[in-house]
Amino acid sequence: MNNVQAETPTVADFARTFRRVQAEIHKMIIGHEQAVEELLSALFAGGHVLIEGVPGTGKTTLVKTLGLALNLSFNRIQFTVDLMPADITGTRVILSGEDGRREFTFQPGPVFCHILLGDEINRATPKTQSALLEAMAELQVTVSGTTYRIKPPYFVMATLNPIEMEGTYPLPEAQLDRFLFKVRLNYPDEGELIRIIASTTGPEEAGIEAVFHADEAPARIEALKRLVREVMAAPAMEIYAARLVRATQPQNSRFVADEARAVHDEMVNRYVMFGSSPRGAQALILGAKVRALLDGRANIAREDIEHVAVAALAHRIMLNYAALSDGIDAAHIVERVIKSVRAAKV
Amino acid sequence: MSFPSPDKRADEKLGQILGRVGSVRARLNSLALQHAIFYTLAIVIAGGAAVFAGAYVLPPLAFLVGGSALAIVAAVGIASAVGAAWRMRASALKAAAIADDRAQLKGRLSTIVALAQSEPRGPLWPYLVEDTLGYRDEFAAAKIERRRVSRAIYPLAGAIVLAALAFPISKIRRAPQIAAAGGQDDLTVNLDDLHLRPADPGDESGMQVTADPATMRRLEDKLARESAAGGNVAGNSLNRLVNRAREIAGNLQSKLTGQQMASNHRLNLRLADAGNDQDQNEIRRAPETQKNQRGEVAGQFKQEQPRSNREIDLPRQNDSRQPNSQPSPGRNGEASAESNSGKDNPDQDDSATDRSIQQSGENSSNGGAAHGIGADPDSLFGAPTAAKLGSEGFEIAIEARPVDHGAKGAGHAYVPPKVRTPLNLTQEPDEPVARAAVPADDRTTIKRVFER
Repeated sequence: MNNVQAETPTVADFARTFRRVQAEIHKMIIGHEQAVEELLSALFAGGHVLIEGVPGTGKTTLVKTLGLALNLSFNRIQFTVDLMPADITGTRVILSGEDGRREFTFQPGPVFCHILLGDEINRATPKTQSALLEAMAELQVTVSGTTYRIKPPYFVMATLNPIEMEGTYPLPEAQLDRFLFKVRLNYPDEGELIRIIASTTGPEEAGIEAVFHADEAPARIEALKRLVREVMAAPAMEIYAARLVRATQPQNSRFVADEARAVHDEMVNRYVMFGSSPRGAQALILGAKVRALLDGRANIAREDIEHVAVAALAHRIMLNYAALSDGIDAAHIVERVIKSVRAAKV
Repeated sequence: MSFPSPDKRADEKLGQILGRVGSVRARLNSLALQHAIFYTLAIVIAGGAAVFAGAYVLPPLAFLVGGSALAIVAAVGIASAVGAAWRMRASALKAAAIADDRAQLKGRLSTIVALAQSEPRGPLWPYLVEDTLGYRDEFAAAKIERRRVSRAIYPLAGAIVLAALAFPISKIRRAPQIAAAGGQDDLTVNLDDLHLRPADPGDESGMQVTADPATMRRLEDKLARESAAGGNVAGNSLNRLVNRAREIAGNLQSKLTGQQMASNHRLNLRLADAGNDQDQNEIRRAPETQKNQRGEVAGQFKQEQPRSNREIDLPRQNDSRQPNSQPSPGRNGEASAESNSGKDNPDQDDSATDRSIQQSGENSSNGGAAHGIGADPDSLFGAPTAAKLGSEGFEIAIEARPVDHGAKGAGHAYVPPKVRTPLNLTQEPDEPVARAAVPADDRTTIKRVFER
């Protein structure tokens, strides 16, 4: 599509670009500052985002605005119970060639884009949901034995409606684990609601200005993603992230050799059924790297890890029924784990 | 003209950063070392002061127990202090982490120190070095750790003050002992209240008693009775251990205080056996001894410092028997020779014993008539008294050590010796009437008066 090789951006370039995209999105999205920042962090960290929010909180608008601001190709899939995998990955159809011969030709599905919005992904069957797995993890789709590459950058945003649970298929843990962050869109407060009313009911719509030119956008974004990977993480920070993840695992002393250093949190043991996978630690470090660049640093700090911990770990923690009955959510567990690890001074 | 390469410049900047981190580390380690040294010194000084003061104010057993407990506490305290200092010591990485926290550098220094030796360093490494160097004023050693001297100096100062306070205790406690040593030369002891027991096998300073045969028999009888009655106590190994421990503690206290403790004082005891018939006359004449008439043995002993090795002040024929008379140096010298006579000068020892026995014999040969008032007129006019009166019937030199029987299970309670209070200038000691020569012309008259 384009072969533009972007220059290696600097730390300042990254922060400037990030803030600019953020500002463009906020022309359309009122409030949700943290959600937008986490969304962009996941984008530049090379991950995908699961957005959870009640209807009307701007999930679709957010994704559309992001596509416009980045000037990337954008597709939207409304997941329903009768949606088939081929509907999203694409299928082979019989087409007539110029010479009149008919042959099977692969017709790419909506996953072939840069930014994909999977709206209400939990309404589709697990078979269809899992069709996204290969595309999300490996940026490729295999149809009829043929593998088709998806050109980067590739960014999947799936939304979940937490209210209507009837007729839905909760995402399997394996699929949840493939999302770098889970972003929660809450109801706007009164001030934000007034601004939403004023900006969306008038004659003029907010004009979103693309940050990149269309031909250079993918390369620029990929360059920024590489820069994120270059941010340095001291061994102590990697250890801290690993211990945070390990602390989410109930009775984790069974899984570590150094039992004395294992962090035992009674709340984790009581309410958590399964803790975070190693992907959680990767998400912590990658998210922290984006945070560090935004702060003008080339190294991550403990504060960066803690800042992204809830977004990176909460959806990876499977709670038991005791937690549900006691009203304990995963975010609360993660905050508790952070305190435990910090207090343990490990 | 050549310019340094970018890599060289980056290395120089890295060197500056690492140098500053090294300064921080040196200061932190210095504080850790000071922590260990100051706390150790404080514990040693405070413990030493407590032991020193305890040597003056505590009895030997309490001193031993307290000192042992203090030694354990001090050892634990020193180990804790050293352990804390060991944990406080900072590696370069730890120093960088501390500097990061205190200067709020958000892990910049930690990352640099951790990755300085790793290769390749990545494209953002120069940026990190440059960025961190921009904060160089923030992580100067003086800013990260302002203290050059550890806070452990305060406990050390407190310990020194404690030690300074312990010194006056030694002054206060020394004076009464010296006064006691000088003022309690003559003591009266009721021997019947004394607890007698065989000397411990390991006891180097045994008890040596010299007396006339009758008194020795009584003492032997008493010792036999005590042994029979308290055999279980004497044979108690625990009791023996306690006594041994008390002795060790006493020796330690003596070394610490520079004074001879009461338990180590060598005593010379001069006894007047009030229970014997031959001394009844003497008892009648001596008011103090009359109090002990019911079979009691009264005595006097003198207490002297072993360093001078002056032990015995045996009463001589011309002894004025002043109850509180201080022994003159010359007499002390003689007494020393006499006390050591058991080994060094047996002749003198024998002569002293003989003199005691002889004196008893003299008193006995006088049949008490010489000392009696209102006796048989036929024996009114004997030879004048050759020796000064007022001496006791015999002398016993005892090299003994008072035993504190306050310890539980020790058997007999300790009875302190009776001390004769000194007479003032207007007082005279009670003395029997001296026999004088009666003129021959008056003898008939006097005899006639007594015959009525």
